[in-house]
Amino acid sequence: MLAYLRLTLICWLIYLAITANLEVANLVVGLLIGLAIALILKPMSQALSLRRLPGALFNLAKYAIWLSIDIIRNGIRVARIVLDPKLPIRPGIIAIQAGMKSELGVALSAHAITVTPGEQVVEIGDDGVMYTHCLDAIASAEGAEEAQRKRRAMLESIFE
Amino acid sequence: METVWRILTLALVVIGTLFSIVGVLGLIRLPDVYTRLHAAGKVGVFGAALLAAAAALTAPSVLGKAIILIALLVIAGPVVSHALASAAYRMGIPLKRAVRDDLAAERDRRAALRDFLDHSV
Repeated sequence: MLAYLRLTLICWLIYLAITANLEVANLVVGLLIGLAIALILKPMSQALSLRRLPGALFNLAKYAIWLSIDIIRNGIRVARIVLDPKLPIRPGIIAIQAGMKSELGVALSAHAITVTPGEQVVEIGDDGVMYTHCLDAIASAEGAEEAQRKRRAMLESIFE
Repeated sequence: METVWRILTLALVVIGTLFSIVGVLGLIRLPDVYTRLHAAGKVGVFGAALLAAAAALTAPSVLGKAIILIALLVIAGPVVSHALASAAYRMGIPLKRAVRDDLAAERDRRAALRDFLDHSV
């Protein structure tokens, strides 16, 4: 029941943000759409401790900022590679150990890698190995372990 | 204050456009599917997100839309480029100018396993 309410509320807020219209009719329509989505999706109830929520949100914000900085830095690096007349790429696929047990953790690690320009996960092995295609495989392979450790620590601080 | 706001918006538009152009240039210049996906799927998304941010600064009424749009781009963009790259690899499209390929060994191992299972049944 609580899970349904939560999903309805989130969908309602997103609908209101998109339509940017606070008339009563629109509020009602948004609520109905949110309710319909919740009924179709049938969310599973998950333990959500209110005491841990502020900390998790703070860590999420920290993670988002860290990811943004990473995206900007790598975006500039890739832009320089593309604009260089000699096109100095050393592409290749490297294996990065995710080092996380849960599927959610591996998926979010893969997302964080793929969202940064210049690196993208092509395949995930059974044991949580992320086969990552890099524009500069040699440079990426050097920093991959360290970056994954940091990523893992941040993701675990949000979900555990 | 007004001027600072204007300059900030203008900077976002210029940088966003530059990154979009870089995305297209990369799509043309890079040698194969995988490297092209880096340019088109990521740098291009980055440019689009900056343009959406600029739109939000110019017209506050679209702020909510811009935030949702940027969130969707950041969440769904990587999923799309991963799906394309994975599909390309499964089809056997070769990497060009590759310096290493850790996945090739894994793929061969899986193929051998599949072969073995097919023959033993």
